[in-house]
Amino acid sequence: MPEETPFKIAVPDDALSLLQRKLADTRLPDEVEGAGWDYGTPLSDIKRLVDRWRGGYDWHAHERELNQHLPMFTRDIEVDGFGVLNMHYVHKKSKVAGAVPVLFVHGWPGSFIEVSKILPLLTAGGAGHPSFHVVAPSLPGFGWSEAAHKPGFRGTHYAELFNKLMLSLGYSEYVTQGGDWGHVITRILASQYGPKHVKASHTNMPICSTDIFGTFRNNPLRFAKYLLTPYTPREREGMARSRMFQKTGMGYFAQQSTRPQTLGYNLGDSPVGLLAWIYEKIGPGTDNYPWTDDEVLTWISIYWFSRAGPSASTRIYYELSKSEEVFRTPRTSVPVGISFFPKEVFHAPRELLRAELNVVFESEHDAGGHFAAYEKPEALVDDLRRMFGRGGPAAGVVPGHSGF
Amino acid sequence: MSEQPFQIAVPDDALALLKRKLDDARFPDEVDEAAWDYGAPLADIKRLVNRWKDGYDWRTHESKFNKLPMFTRDIDVEGFGTLNVHYVHQKSAVEGAIPLLFVHGWPGSFIEVTKILPLLTAGGPDQPSFHVIAPSLPGYAWSSPALKRGFRGKQYAELFNKLMISLGYKEYVTQGGDWGYYVRLCSLFESSCTHGRDQITRMLAAHHGPQNVKASHTNFPRADEPTFWASPVQYIKHNILPYTALERQGLARRQQFIASGRGYYLEHATRPQTIGYNLSDSPVGMLAWIYEKLVAWTDSYPWTDDEILTWISIYWFSRAGPAASVRIYYEIGGSGESMNLPRATIPYGVSYFPKEIASAPKAFMRGEFNVVFESEHTSGGHFAAFENPQGLVDDLRKMFGKKGPAAGVVPGHSGF
Repeated sequence: MPEETPFKIAVPDDALSLLQRKLADTRLPDEVEGAGWDYGTPLSDIKRLVDRWRGGYDWHAHERELNQHLPMFTRDIEVDGFGVLNMHYVHKKSKVAGAVPVLFVHGWPGSFIEVSKILPLLTAGGAGHPSFHVVAPSLPGFGWSEAAHKPGFRGTHYAELFNKLMLSLGYSEYVTQGGDWGHVITRILASQYGPKHVKASHTNMPICSTDIFGTFRNNPLRFAKYLLTPYTPREREGMARSRMFQKTGMGYFAQQSTRPQTLGYNLGDSPVGLLAWIYEKIGPGTDNYPWTDDEVLTWISIYWFSRAGPSASTRIYYELSKSEEVFRTPRTSVPVGISFFPKEVFHAPRELLRAELNVVFESEHDAGGHFAAYEKPEALVDDLRRMFGRGGPAAGVVPGHSGF
Repeated sequence: MSEQPFQIAVPDDALALLKRKLDDARFPDEVDEAAWDYGAPLADIKRLVNRWKDGYDWRTHESKFNKLPMFTRDIDVEGFGTLNVHYVHQKSAVEGAIPLLFVHGWPGSFIEVTKILPLLTAGGPDQPSFHVIAPSLPGYAWSSPALKRGFRGKQYAELFNKLMISLGYKEYVTQGGDWGYYVRLCSLFESSCTHGRDQITRMLAAHHGPQNVKASHTNFPRADEPTFWASPVQYIKHNILPYTALERQGLARRQQFIASGRGYYLEHATRPQTIGYNLSDSPVGMLAWIYEKLVAWTDSYPWTDDEILTWISIYWFSRAGPAASVRIYYEIGGSGESMNLPRATIPYGVSYFPKEIASAPKAFMRGEFNVVFESEHTSGGHFAAFENPQGLVDDLRKMFGKKGPAAGVVPGHSGF
């Protein structure tokens, strides 16, 4: 096994005191009466969270916990045209030598922390279910991964980066799991490096390409089925949620995909601004997940203390919107598994997905939202075990790594 | 009626807080050779922050403002209680001067009236004179904010109409280059959006013209494509005649705006509170948010750092704080109220400036308004009154002067 450089998060004291100084000088806005969540993150929530952040919330305790429970490393990876990027990642091998190597890719405003609950479950051995070796990197510009310094870091570059990471860790054949940007990136990975390296993909946030005509041309019969099949009640519900989100919840997307730098001055300089910006999405983005204040503050602190600063994390929207890769997600013949969670905000019609991708596994859940691995770890892991386990539709897809 | 004079007096502790925040500014990284592609450039923001910290003297600019005739006044708005409005009011020496209500927008302020004020109020045998009233919108500068939901076009119109009447101007004209947007709130993924007519002066004209509002002038030409049913002549002309070069430029700028320039708008119109935390708490962030537009929307206006910082400081030190100023996008932008406004019949004047964000072609304006005056300029952008004050004032003088198309539109106030 190639040598790894262990990594422990160690936020310097002066960064902590700067944060405290800023929090002490927080200047809050007013709010219209009865605003609720309609105008954005509610003032009462922010006041409570800022108070906790100032006194009571102990970053060092959470830093210790992350360091203790997540085996983390860094590694230099060269990307064509971008030089060397130092990548931060979680890597846990199962005791089962033949475990399935899985690359877990997070999104925004998530992070490597999203792997923390599924990690022990995936790597656990057991007679009945397959085991996994798990690699969970921080996207460039997130967590403690270096950000790309040149413009134009596109989907194809993420794919190159992560494929090289897996290869460097000795996994020349592997499967992927991703939601949010993780879905887009693993899809591009599969299209670029599958089936040679990427043998199968699983997602909890499938989206359909806007290239509808391409889907029709590629799979006319399945596309016709999509046109002819009425939507199920769940799908109608999902579409309504999606439409509402598109109408009222995409301001952040519009800003991040056009002028991320301008926004970045705010997110980098104001802890309360960053908190509000992210909490707006993670608060309502789950299926009534009982966030504790400290959990929220840890999610936000990862951005606040990140190596590249919070601003860098928003550039992925700009780059992948410009390249249209986020809209025209590529087709791939690699087998795909999908877990549908009811409170996901990005909806995709089932039949259209089946026309677009080689869907071999589907699972409908009655609870869970956008951050599935964090909200419903057992459910997600159960799906992966069924997809890759004995008799599963993707059983043995990685030669020599059946999971047993 | 007596007016309550007003002087800006930002407390010392507000200045001290700003200084502390600027001292602790934490800057983001930037990709190589980003220029303006990703937003406001890092070098510009660093330079401006350094100046703001050290060298920029707010008190000097505050004293300059305090030489303007500024006042505050309580105005009741139905359902919203009493709002305290901050405004500039300068009467001309010419008694029969035309009362003119000047309405600013975002990220502007009452500062936008400062260059045209002496020109408009000046008397002369050959040019009409104006009495000028320039209020700060609720939640801007030193006007109090509306703290109930739903403060929309109708309420702005009521507020400002009442303001004018309370100052003794029952009949008046308006000038707005204005709040409001050409492309209404629509899904990010829709390339064609329904267009709105959200300007405050438009609302004033619709609700209070021609009884109170006798004529309107705009430097922000926004309108929908003429339809055959609403304006057959313009519709036919539009389909036969080619666009002028200037019109093509305006349409191209509109496309560019839709493609990459309206992130701020969509955020303001859907989640004003969320961006509000950023703008209230981070002077650097607020500076960048506004500076990006002050440059993008002007025609190579040679901003000095101190000018920028003064525009920004008005927001930073505003009575309600910067967050209140972006709620107008949510209230009006998301409301759909403008879609059912009656057509304004009052005379309209339009000045076209080449670097305006999104100018509609002439046929669009002529189809929707009773356009009696048009003027095309070779320089100037969105902040016309500030960038090209002489050009704008010349237009107003031509429109309202002797033999102008809106001459004598305010009885007893011909401007002479």
